[in-house]
Amino acid sequence: MSDYKMKDIEWAKINKDVLESLESPRKAFWIVLGVCAFLVSLGVAAEIYQYNQGLGVALMNRPHFWQLYISNFVFWIGMSHSGTLLSAILLLTKADWRKPIYRFAEAMTLFSILTAAIFPVIHLGRVWNMYWVLPYPNERTIWPNFRSPLLWDAAAITTYATSSALFLYIGMIPDLAICRDNAKGWRKKLYTALSMGWMGRATEWLAFRKTYVLMACFLVPLAVSVHSIVASDFAMSIMPDWHITSFPPYFVAGALYSGCAAIITLFVLLRYVFRFEAYMTTEIMDKTAKLTFAIAMVWNYLNLSEYASIWYSNDMFEKEVLLEKFFGPYCWVVWGMLLCATVAPFAMAFKKVRHSMWGMFWLSLVLQLGMWLERFQIVSPPLASNHEPWTWAVVWPGLVQLTITLASFGWFTMLFLIFCKVFPSVSMYEVKEMVFHRRKASSRTELEDLDKVKDEMVKLEEKLA
Amino acid sequence: MRKRIKHFLFATYEDFDKARDAIAELKMLDLKEMVVQNIEIYSPIEHPEVEEILGEFHQPIQRFTFFGAISGAIGAFLLVAAAAQSMFTVQPQGGKPVIPLPMDIVITYEGTILIGVLSTLAAFFIYSGMPRSLKKHYNEKVSEDQIGVEVQVLPKHREKVREVLARCNASEIREVTL
Repeated sequence: MSDYKMKDIEWAKINKDVLESLESPRKAFWIVLGVCAFLVSLGVAAEIYQYNQGLGVALMNRPHFWQLYISNFVFWIGMSHSGTLLSAILLLTKADWRKPIYRFAEAMTLFSILTAAIFPVIHLGRVWNMYWVLPYPNERTIWPNFRSPLLWDAAAITTYATSSALFLYIGMIPDLAICRDNAKGWRKKLYTALSMGWMGRATEWLAFRKTYVLMACFLVPLAVSVHSIVASDFAMSIMPDWHITSFPPYFVAGALYSGCAAIITLFVLLRYVFRFEAYMTTEIMDKTAKLTFAIAMVWNYLNLSEYASIWYSNDMFEKEVLLEKFFGPYCWVVWGMLLCATVAPFAMAFKKVRHSMWGMFWLSLVLQLGMWLERFQIVSPPLASNHEPWTWAVVWPGLVQLTITLASFGWFTMLFLIFCKVFPSVSMYEVKEMVFHRRKASSRTELEDLDKVKDEMVKLEEKLA
Repeated sequence: MRKRIKHFLFATYEDFDKARDAIAELKMLDLKEMVVQNIEIYSPIEHPEVEEILGEFHQPIQRFTFFGAISGAIGAFLLVAAAAQSMFTVQPQGGKPVIPLPMDIVITYEGTILIGVLSTLAAFFIYSGMPRSLKKHYNEKVSEDQIGVEVQVLPKHREKVREVLARCNASEIREVTL
């Protein structure tokens, strides 16, 4: 269905369509969920093995103390960016095309951040000491070292996860009330508890709108700060290729880019699986693709300017790492990244590609692969050729790291699938608002057209007279 | 103590304009005969023009946000500064600042946002009157596509109000005495 036809959708149909997506899942759902659960159990087994044997089994040793776990951490944090950030920005700019897609994007944010938060714990090795990052009075009279960007990470991620979860929850309350009014059994109890007695009263709506906008105002700078702080983990060190001023904006642009690509992937899947063609229209995909293209160009610019500044600065250490990246043992990662994340997005310049759902689906996967490679090439190659030549070593991730990486994808998909079956993945009340405003606008246009016809008739009558 | 009896009429309308007409008529009647005690609108989507009809609602949520954010900033700054002092007593800090500002800014920034968001949420619950249990006369059609108008009246004025609500093409009218 085309975007302009949205005004003809009945409100009751919107409820029906979205509530249908919560009904008993099909066989395919259970199969995918089973595969995800299997991957997660593999990851848990790998972590238990690593826990017992030590980080050495993950092949992390000098100089590769940081490797795939940190690449994955940055990748998932990046993925978490677009959902809440775009939802908040588009809400503040009153872009109504966000309405059918923001709910699942915000859920994606929450689950990505939950996935990302696992990696520093795994990476720590001594998992039992994780609570040391929390500032609390203790018998050792030692406080966390707030000078470390790793502590900033802990503060930023806690704030971002809490705020994103609350933003998602607040935005869902009116829909939870709709679910409550139509559910039975355990679902009725769950939705009754979560909707907190929402009845759609005028006082509730006004408080809701104010709260939602105020939270959006907080979330925009917060999202930017979170990835800037993740960039500080690298930029605050004195490692060549990490100690770069443009890292924070580069990370934020990269996060938005991979997040947008993930939104496109989930957009196509949800549209296909739940038959949301009437709400997730080609026009909305077109706008999302254009936005992704614009962000891709910003990321490309920052990437190329980083190369250029290293090249023209003529710093021997930086230049050597750069050359090593392009022509050394990790070169296929860098060239793969450039192919997937720099060249591939130009396909979105064509309307035909933007309007092809499955074309965009495959393209979004390529973009995400490119962004995952980007994170790997940020972390590993500089460590392989650092300031201390006697430590130079090329190390590829081992089986333990790869298994845990695969498990993280299973974990994210599992959480997302459960969310889609328990909570509405499309916002019903916001789509109703969208339909309402389009109907209003179209009747206004029709009235204006009628006025024009009237004027012409009057003129004709005058002429005839 | 004797409990005060409340009488409600709950009418549902197919669209917002009809509900608005009904409220306008009720207000006219109220001006003449003082029949209405309170009016409330229920709707499946937000209608900002509600304030024009029912009068302005006092919901200073932004004040909670502002003071919450300030408290968060002060709290986070004090936490990091105090933690630095604690370290100062235990370990020699030769040449390092007593209160290191650059790192304080980052934690203060995060604290501002976290407490700002939490206090905004608290304000939302205070001013929306949630959590609460559903009213007996709540019509589930309101969460689908109907606009609800709830009128609190004295039992002796019930018929008059009901007549007005029905005249404006109400789809359904429910009556409850609490």
